Order: sequence, then C-alpha cells, then structure tokens
Amino acid sequence: MAAMEIHFTLNGQPVAVQAEPDEMLLEVLRRELGLRSVRETCGLGICGACTALLNGQPISTCILLAPLAEGCEITTVEGLGGHHPVQRAFEEVQAFQCGYCTPGMILTIKALLEEQPAPDEETIRRALGGNLCRCGCYLKIVQAAQRAAALLAEERRRQPGPGAAPVS
Amino acid sequence: MSRAMPEPGENTHRTEPDPRVTGAIRYAQDVELPDMLYACIVRSPYAHARVLRVDTSSLPADVVALTPDDVRALGLYGCQIKDQQVLAVERALYIGDPVAAVAAASPRAAREAAELIEVDYEELPAVFDAVEAMQPGAPLLHEDLAISDNDAAYFGMRPEPQRNVCHHFRIRHGDIEQGFAEADVIVEETYRTPSAQHVPMEPHACLARWTADGRLEVWTGTQTPFNLRMDLAGIFGLPQERIRIIAPPMGGAFGSKTFVRYEAIVACLARKAGRPVKLVLRRDEEWLTLNRHPSTIHVKLGARRDGTLVAKQVTCWANTGAYADCGPGVAQKMGFASPGPYRIPHVWVDSYCVYTNLPSNGAFRGYGATQAVWASERTMDLLAERLGLDPLELRLKNVLVDGDRYCTGEVMHDVHFADCLKAVAGQIGWHEGRRGKGLAVLLKGMQTPSRASIVVEANDDGSYTVHCATAEMGQGAWRAIRMLAAEQLGVPVERVHFPVPDTDIVPYDTRTTSSRSTYMMGRALVEAVRQLKENGELGYGECVNEGGLDPDTGQGIASTHWHQGAAAAEVRVDEETGKLEVVHLHTAIYAGRVVNPPAAQLQNEGSMIMGLGSALFEEITFAEGQVTNANLSDYNIPAADDLPRITYDLIERPGAEIHGLGETALPPVPAAIGNALFSLGIHVRDLPLTPERVLEASERRRVRSAAPV
Ligand code: FES
Ligand code: FES
Repeated sequence: MAAMEIHFTLNGQPVAVQAEPDEMLLEVLRRELGLRSVRETCGLGICGACTALLNGQPISTCILLAPLAEGCEITTVEGLGGHHPVQRAFEEVQAFQCGYCTPGMILTIKALLEEQPAPDEETIRRALGGNLCRCGCYLKIVQAAQRAAALLAEERRRQPGPGAAPVS
Repeated sequence: MSRAMPEPGENTHRTEPDPRVTGAIRYAQDVELPDMLYACIVRSPYAHARVLRVDTSSLPADVVALTPDDVRALGLYGCQIKDQQVLAVERALYIGDPVAAVAAASPRAAREAAELIEVDYEELPAVFDAVEAMQPGAPLLHEDLAISDNDAAYFGMRPEPQRNVCHHFRIRHGDIEQGFAEADVIVEETYRTPSAQHVPMEPHACLARWTADGRLEVWTGTQTPFNLRMDLAGIFGLPQERIRIIAPPMGGAFGSKTFVRYEAIVACLARKAGRPVKLVLRRDEEWLTLNRHPSTIHVKLGARRDGTLVAKQVTCWANTGAYADCGPGVAQKMGFASPGPYRIPHVWVDSYCVYTNLPSNGAFRGYGATQAVWASERTMDLLAERLGLDPLELRLKNVLVDGDRYCTGEVMHDVHFADCLKAVAGQIGWHEGRRGKGLAVLLKGMQTPSRASIVVEANDDGSYTVHCATAEMGQGAWRAIRMLAAEQLGVPVERVHFPVPDTDIVPYDTRTTSSRSTYMMGRALVEAVRQLKENGELGYGECVNEGGLDPDTGQGIASTHWHQGAAAAEVRVDEETGKLEVVHLHTAIYAGRVVNPPAAQLQNEGSMIMGLGSALFEEITFAEGQVTNANLSDYNIPAADDLPRITYDLIERPGAEIHGLGETALPPVPAAIGNALFSLGIHVRDLPLTPERVLEASERRRVRSAAPV
C-alpha cells in the first residue's frame, strides 16, 4: 500500500506525517512523531493506554485509522507541559505505580472536568470505564480527579472574567 | 498503630514533574538502537507435536530467520530445572511454543515474514490436567530433568521424571494418622483454581545486541537481571561477565517478567543478523508466555470438638505447563503456605509441580499462596460450620502467636495474625451479624535464602548514587530505596540518584520478587552508608537471609520473615441469576515499618483489586490446550467501576522491620469472598466465583436442604 501524508495539529503545532492508509494513529504517533506517552496494551479500544484527545475528546488511538486524524487537533500529555492541574493532582495524590496508564487517565479526566467541573465519585468512576490500570491505582486516581477539580476551580476563581476558558 | 485511609496531598513536593505524569518515562519497550531489526515469533499450533521441518525458503532476502538448527547446539536452560531450549527443537510442548523466529526492518515486515515460514509437525498425544498428567501412561513431556545451576534453584528439588513431576515437596510434621485418630471431627474437600494472566500493561519487551568484541548486551523489562544473565551465560557458553543486562522500569510485571522469556531468541537473532534486534510482544502472546499455576488442592482437616486443630493433610497439584520455569518454587510455597498460620501438631503435605501441555506457569503475585489460602481458609469455614463455631473464634483459638513453632519447625517472631483477623472482623461489622460476611487469614514466606547487595557512592556535587539491581515495576522500590538512603545520609531524597540497573555496574542481587526488596536492600543499605561515611567515597553493604527447607520433610527455615494479613468481605447474592456483588472489602496487613506511605497504600490497594479480579472473574479458558480468551475483551481485569467499597489497615509498629507489601493483601481476598458466600449456605469450591458456579452451588444447597434426612 502506498504511504500517504496526513496533516493535523499535535499539541498546538501543525504536523505532516507519512502513514500507511491502514495504519492506526497510535503507530504513527509513536514511530513518526516519537511520542511515548501513547502506549499499546489491548489494541482493541478497551484499556485506554493509547488515549489521546481528538478535538478535546478522549479516543483510543489504537483503533483510529491514522488518515481519519486529517485536519484534527490531537493532544497528548506531552502537550500539557507537566504542571497542568490534572498532572499536579496526580503527583500530589501519587495516583500511579508503574505509570503506564497515567497519561491516558490524565487526558480522560481532563476532558471530563471540562464538561463537568465538579463530578461526584460515581461519575468519575464511570468516566474511567475505558481506562484500565493493572497496578490497581483506581482509588487514588479517583482522588486525583477530585483534587484536580478543586485545583481547576481555584484557578478559575483566580482568573475570573467573562467566558473564561477552561485551563488547558 | 494503625494508619487510617490516606489523605491526598500528604506526600513530599518535588520540583521536576514526575516522568510518569508527563509521559517522559522510558520503559523497556521504548529502548531503541540505530539499525535495529524487529522480531516476530513463529509458534506451534499443536499442544504436543514433533517438529519435522522448518522451511524458510519463501522469506525475502533481507529477513533473518532463526530455526531449530540454529539453536540445537546451544545450552539447555531453566531457572530451576534445565528443560528448555531456545526454540522447540525436537518437540513443541504447547500451543504457542516458539519453533522459529524472524527479524525484519519493521514490526509489520516481521509479522508478514513470520507468516511465510512453513513448519511440518507430527501431532502427539497431549495432557492438560495436572492430576491426569501424573497417571501412568500419560504423555511424557520431558525425559530428563536436570536441576539447574542457576541461583534461582535455591532449594532441594525432587523431580520424578517418569511421571511429569518436576518437584515433589513434602512436609512431615508429627504423626498424621495418630492426629486424625485424635480428631472428633474431620472435614475434607477438593478445590480448584484456574490459570490467570498477569496482564502487565506494558507487554514483554527486550532488545539485544552483540558488541564488536563479542559481548552480549540486553535491555529488557526484567525482575531478575542476574538470574537471566546466568541462564544466558549457560545458553551461549559465555562467562557471565561477558553478558550485560540493563533493566529499565517496567509498565507492570506482577511476576511475569522473570528469568529467560524472549531474551535468548532475540539474542540469537541479533547474532545472526549482526544487528540489534528488538521484540515487543503482541498482547495475545502474553497468554502464551507465562501465566499463573492452575491448582487442584485436597484438604483434610481434623479437630477436637472444642475447635482445637489436631491434624491437617494437604495435597497440591500445581500445573506448571510445558516448562518448569520457577514452578518447583511455586509448588513448594503453595505447600508450606497450605497449613495456614495455625498451631497444628500433625501436618502432612505433598505438593507436586506437574508438567502439562499448557503454556508455562510461573511467578504470579501471590506465588502459590493465593491457591493455598483459597483451599485452606475455605476449609476452616467448613470446619467451623460442622462444629457450630464462629469462624473468627475458631481461627483465633488456633492462630500462631509469638514463640509458636510452625509446622516447618521454625519459631515464629513478630507475629500479628490475630491482630489482622480482629481488625478485619471489626471493620466488616462481624459482631453485628455474620450473614453475607467472610474472612480469611494469610501467612506467606519471603524468598529464603537470598542475598542483596548495594553500593552507595558520593558524587563531586554533593549528591549520592545508589547502585542496586532492584527492578522498578511500579512498586516504587527505587524511590523507597532512595528515601532510605537519603534518611541515613541525612540529605533530601533529591540528592540521591538511582540509575537504571545495569549488571556491569550494580552488585549482585537475588531478584526483585516475593516482596523482599525494600526489606533486604534496606538492611544492606545500613552497612553501605556506614562504610561510605567512614571513607567519604564509597560504601558496600550486603544482606543475606539464610535458611531453607528439607524437601523431604519440610523442616527447616521456610522464611526468615513472614508476610501476614487478613481479609474480610461482605457480599450480596442474587439467587435467581447467581450474580455475586461484593459490597465491602477490607484487609488488615502487618506492615512493620512503612518507608513510603503512598507507595505502601498503592501496593496494598493494587493487591486487593487484583485479588478481587481473581475472586470474581479472572480465568484463562482453554480448549484442548488452546487459550480461548487471549485478549482484554474476553479476559476481563478489574476496572474503576467494578470496585466495591475498599478499605484497609496497614498495621505499623514503630521500630519494626520493613515488610514488603507487594502481594500480601491478594491471597486472602478470594477466600474471604468465598467464605462470605458460604455464610449464605453457598459452597463454591472452584475459583473464580462466576454467576454459573454460584447458581450451581445454591441449587445444590436447595437440593440438599430439600432431601429427607
Ligand atoms: S491500546 Fe488502545 S485502548 Fe487499549
Ligand atoms: S499505574 Fe501501572 S497500570 Fe496504572
């Protein structure tokens, strides 16, 4: 199959990459763009280790054909800078062991908190249904989500203003 | 002292964000070298077959192939029994046994090339059940069972080659016949536990290259760098120093990343290719690599009318699959965990490690204890029911206390089984009514004998570097060791570095298993820091724990240090559908001294959650040796919305030894849930507690209670 060129925005930067038409976005992000925070575990869209945000929504890049990312905005944790409130919350709570699932968890929670700034525990757990953690850090991940919600609320208070966009 | 549930935000602050939250951490699967090729394995489609011909003639010219002829002359290996060759040379022994391999320019090219290799087989009869495999006339997997010279063969093994047994461990304590003669009541039952998959999120990954001067260098996710080096040295006929193992952090391991997995195949490919070769397993191949031992365990337990235990006889069949791996060790630990933490004057244990035509089974978080505790603690509740006693009272009456002797003859110290039991009973509301509630207690040994050593070096900039082989798989060992070193050196933890372990640099360590690292390394560190303070430059420390059991009597020192814990569960059952709902799960674990509280909590929570998966749904299913659920859609692991209320106590004692917490809370969880079901009259013998099994058991109860007496 002939490789094709795909264009999208990755973590705020426009990129153009080569991909096979039947290749998944995960392979392209890792091989062509050197991103290591997107990781394969199940390859079936079940575990969330390969999560990225596509136009702000969490998706499994292991089952998204790379050409379908054409023209989209893709965000991975590399694009969050390291001090995003959800990342800070994960560190504070120590909501990880091996850290393999952590980027996917962080992105899923970021997207959740943008839609629902103060989710209850039940809602958080349900939102994490597509993110598995074999180390079993779920209790602390839920705590981290709650802590992140508090940090984000604090940021919003400190930067009030009409139509203040969610912090990203 | 008991630590309550953790509060967020109580940990120390660091300046740099943790590489796990930025995604910057590099696992074994991320290691790359210029010019490397990618490997793919060709596997047997038969459970037992003679390999007649491997034809690589249709491969493209730029693909490197490894066939039985390439490895025939290489050494046999096996960490406890030498029963394995780099590829299945004469016979393939399970569906998935590697018979050939390729290396190509991309993972996709390697997969396509692997499809082009043609293999002719002659199918042979196969056996899948451990009890059947020991019967006369069963297909024999291995003719010779040579005990390995690897350090991992650390105890006396008793292979019985003519009946597929690679180890028969015994405990002979007291006089078992007299014991049962003294019993007023005897209960007897047979239990089965299934195979399970570790499902580390990061698959097995390794990369090998040969240097110009003929040294082998391997980057691999491994818990056992030195044991791996020993086996590779044997395979290639090299002195150990000619092999270098670098062990990057792992995205989870749980026992699966131990000893030789694919490192030998990849090294052979790299040698043939003259280029580095890397392998990252496909997810389905994890089920063909290493799983948990299925077990069959028969328990006979005798007591006096007042509940005093007098005799216990246990027979364990640990199904180790096609190759022994560390199965003999697992069977031995299953054997010496099966009497449970009780004073029993007459104990008789036979634990067999048995070959079958399944994929190999090896170390799995819990290491034989999960199976043993399931059988042992379910039987305690059968006995309690028969005697009309409260299961908690029955346990407290018999549980080991300080100064008691275990059935191995060793005297127990720092014993907290009763504390753990009382704690879980209190948390689950035991005294307010026992319906739907169950509990279980665990004793689990730590690797004995073993040796750990560590070097601490002072750097010019005032920081320190710790050289240590401990593997990091998410358990937080590197940070715990840095914290211990920092505390002893009197510097902040940021001033202590822990480079990725490299066998060229770090001193010897037995391995990162059995929740021993923080304990052993912590002790070695004391001496290393003392030396460093003396000379200002470098300190070396070592910790050795001596002991071991006589395999024919089970007498000696099973463990210099015991992991102790208990679990309690409250359940609800829908008797129409068999659906079992765990409402609340609580564990109490003796933690000694906790070094890094968040990591300790995470280890404990993770163990409980994995135990929940084992209890409720984790089971590898086979059809004639073929895994039928080798993917995460058919093999479920616990997700966030599967969890009940989970609480726990880490019981700390100031000044106590450090206790590894990596796996203590897992084994008692299934048994506590099974006992909770039993309190409702539903007796399920086999794990996991699926709706079908629960339904079947409650049907049985109805039939029984309807039957005329
Ligand atoms: S790897 Fe994509 S969802 Fe599991
Ligand atoms: S932290 Fe290891 S998988 Fe989540």
